[in-house]
Amino acid sequence: MKTILRTENVVKNFSGLVAVRDLSFEMAERNIHALIGPNGSGKTTTINMITGAFPVTSGRIFYGDTEISGMPTYQIARLGIGRTFQNLKLFHSMTVMENLMVGGHQMMPAGIFRFLVDPAKSRQEEKQVEEKAKQVLDFIGMYDLKDEKVSSLPYGRQKMTELGRALMMDPKLLFLDEPAAGLNPSERVEFVNIMLKTFDLGIDLFLIEHNMDVVMNICSRITVLNFGAKIAEGTPDEIKNNEEVIKAYLGNRYQAEKA
Amino acid sequence: MKKVKIALMALVLVLLIAFPLFDSNLYHQQLMNQVFVNIIVVMGLNFITGLTGQMNLGTAGIFALGAYGSALMCTKLGTPVWLGFPIAIVIGFLIGRGLGYPSLRVKGVYLSLTTIGFSEVVRLILTNAIDFTGGSQGVQNIPFLNLFGFEFNTPFKIYYLYFALTIIMAIAAARIVSSKWGRVFKAIRDNSDAVEACGIDVANLKILAFTMAAVYGCIGGFLYTHMMGYINPTAFNQDLSVNYLVMMMIGGIGSVAGNVLGAVMVTLLPEILRFMQNYYWLIFSIITLIFAVFLPYGIVSLFKKSERQERHFDIFHSIKKAREIWGGRIAK
Amino acid sequence: MTIWKEDEKTMLESVLQLIVSGIAMGFIYALVGIEYTLVWNSTGLLNFSHDKFIMLSAYIFAGTFVIRMGLPPAIGVIASLLVMFLFGVLVAVGIFNPLRSMASPIFAVMGTVVLGRILSEMVRLIWGPIPFTLPNYLTGTYQVGNIVIGRVNIWIIVISSLLVAALQIFFKTTKTGKAMRCVQQNKKAATLMGIDVSRNIVFTIVLSSLVCTVIGMLVIPLFTVDTAMANMIGLKGFSSGVIGGFGYLPGVIAGGVFLGVLENFSTLVLPAVYKDCVGFVLMIIFLLVRPSGILGHRKNLR
Repeated sequence: MKTILRTENVVKNFSGLVAVRDLSFEMAERNIHALIGPNGSGKTTTINMITGAFPVTSGRIFYGDTEISGMPTYQIARLGIGRTFQNLKLFHSMTVMENLMVGGHQMMPAGIFRFLVDPAKSRQEEKQVEEKAKQVLDFIGMYDLKDEKVSSLPYGRQKMTELGRALMMDPKLLFLDEPAAGLNPSERVEFVNIMLKTFDLGIDLFLIEHNMDVVMNICSRITVLNFGAKIAEGTPDEIKNNEEVIKAYLGNRYQAEKA
Repeated sequence: MKKVKIALMALVLVLLIAFPLFDSNLYHQQLMNQVFVNIIVVMGLNFITGLTGQMNLGTAGIFALGAYGSALMCTKLGTPVWLGFPIAIVIGFLIGRGLGYPSLRVKGVYLSLTTIGFSEVVRLILTNAIDFTGGSQGVQNIPFLNLFGFEFNTPFKIYYLYFALTIIMAIAAARIVSSKWGRVFKAIRDNSDAVEACGIDVANLKILAFTMAAVYGCIGGFLYTHMMGYINPTAFNQDLSVNYLVMMMIGGIGSVAGNVLGAVMVTLLPEILRFMQNYYWLIFSIITLIFAVFLPYGIVSLFKKSERQERHFDIFHSIKKAREIWGGRIAK
Repeated sequence: MTIWKEDEKTMLESVLQLIVSGIAMGFIYALVGIEYTLVWNSTGLLNFSHDKFIMLSAYIFAGTFVIRMGLPPAIGVIASLLVMFLFGVLVAVGIFNPLRSMASPIFAVMGTVVLGRILSEMVRLIWGPIPFTLPNYLTGTYQVGNIVIGRVNIWIIVISSLLVAALQIFFKTTKTGKAMRCVQQNKKAATLMGIDVSRNIVFTIVLSSLVCTVIGMLVIPLFTVDTAMANMIGLKGFSSGVIGGFGYLPGVIAGGVFLGVLENFSTLVLPAVYKDCVGFVLMIIFLLVRPSGILGHRKNLR
């Protein structure tokens, strides 16, 4: 099995405060990998480091065989790493369609000069991206809402828009930061279904999630963080029975419920 | 709706073409030429400040370099006047890159700081490098534009040339605004982190937006020079930069129609409000401030009924907002 | 031989003089830096009208209290501080608070720019367009050995140092000061800790306007009093922020003093009229080479 993502002794300091300490893990290809842990354990920081939003303090991160630590965010994204954000980062003044089309911006390589002198070419490019956006909208079940302003949509739909925007750039690996947070049960089921459909398209998923139902049911591998350090890694079953994880995160109640 | 729009635009076009034929007042024609120049500059500013959301406080400096570049070439080197146009584009490009690269490569408000400084330094140099720029005396006897032996030497002739140029530049600007560029610029204004995560080089695009602003600004300066025939550095001060920002905001940021409207209004308003004399600027500034708070998306937002988000002009909404802003916060 | 020695001595003296007046000017830049950094940190807004605040306070002090009303400067200082205190409250509540809640920071910046224009128009209408000076105020020189130092420079250095120290004590010891530091670091957390952010911002802007008043009164002997008198120091305050580390108070002080001294030394090689370009060029160089500033603090790089 090939590794798609590997971190080596990654450390992140925020002016003296250690957010992530000495984190090493691997993610194999064709996997749904989850990163779990209590609040403030460094999960989002880890994703931010992998996607280049924060520089690492020390350590190395590899995507396939390429070292991506130290690269700017947009280059990492161009390698095929997409992401969604914990607190939605949408383009609020725009419609759903436009949000998705920004996600597909990289599909349109023509420069500004070419654009000004060759309207036909630019129209053709625009058409292509529009087609693609329509496909993605179909895929996430939001075709009817394509001309709505994102800011007027309910939270669940906004989350879906963000997923759609990430899908527009044909990622190989998709990071989802708390995809189920804030969704009601039926929205959650829908989101999980779309995540599984996405996985079936050949996109590997890496998620941070607090909802244990989601994590235990769809993930094949789980890494557990506590105070910025890895305390366990394994299959859902292994994690469920790991004493340290139960103590630090899942709690005794989860153990009791399970039994 | 679209038909009405087209009909309206055609009507405005016809009126503008007919205007100098019916109004032979040279001062009015000159004023209209000034309006055209301002429209071009504001459309440029719109790219970086209106769409991309990066404050550019140095329009005066950009405009001045465009104006002086061409004026000095003509008067000192005796180059043909039309050469000023490509020169203005080159100067704009250099300003855009040279100032945009340091200030937009790092995240932050640095563009507003460097542009405001740039503008002052340009003015300082233009005033003090007397041998080269004529100092505070300025440059005199700048030749009029001429094409194929036809000299644009009266406001009447200039009117049609500048009108045509403005339309071409407006079409280019409108196309950019409604294309992938406009879209991604707006996206940067809304949330630059997310744009970056889509694999887009945000810094590069900001520099592009600023470069276009500088090119438009320099072209405006070039046109201004050959319309006035005389320039001096005192005109290119901080107030001018602020004026362009005000035009952009009053008309409506992000929209070419808004830019045109704003440029027309702010250029012509002083003529209409002459009777206020000394108080004109004060009253005008206060109106602007009220605009900034209550109608931030400008006059065009009044006409965009569909865009609920941006329609701020609704009397009940305004009152509610005023309560919220002034009442609520103080009470807390 | 003796002549050469004489030359060397004067050279040393003039260098010392340049250093002293450079430090004095640097302290002014540092104060400007402090004044807008306070507002920037607590509201996230750059106050582009800050130079007009300085100008306004100079007019109030010199134009109204000393010249028109004939008050002794000491009383004029207190009266000006009081007036500018009220002005600060008014601007904070009436303008900065609504601007802070605007849809896009662009509108807020526009608001401060337009506010600056309103202030200078009001000043022009109230005090008239003719620039003036304040005679016999902080003029004269001190002589130490062969070195001649302007009285105003000494005053600037002493008052600024005292002000910086006082601010330091205020931020470190008083409850309000501590709360202000909290708000500057993290507004959300501060709200959760029961700090009234809105009121805090009003405090900050009032404090900033008081610092502006002190600057305005100190620079009167250096410039003539007119509506554009503070433009340059306002801009150089921004430069010193970038040079020292934007949004970081110790950085801004270091950057200001550094700029003041370097700018004075530039007159040794450049024509004096281009002295004002130094700050701008340095700002660009720092942005290219070291955007985090001399002290290398990377807060607030957004």
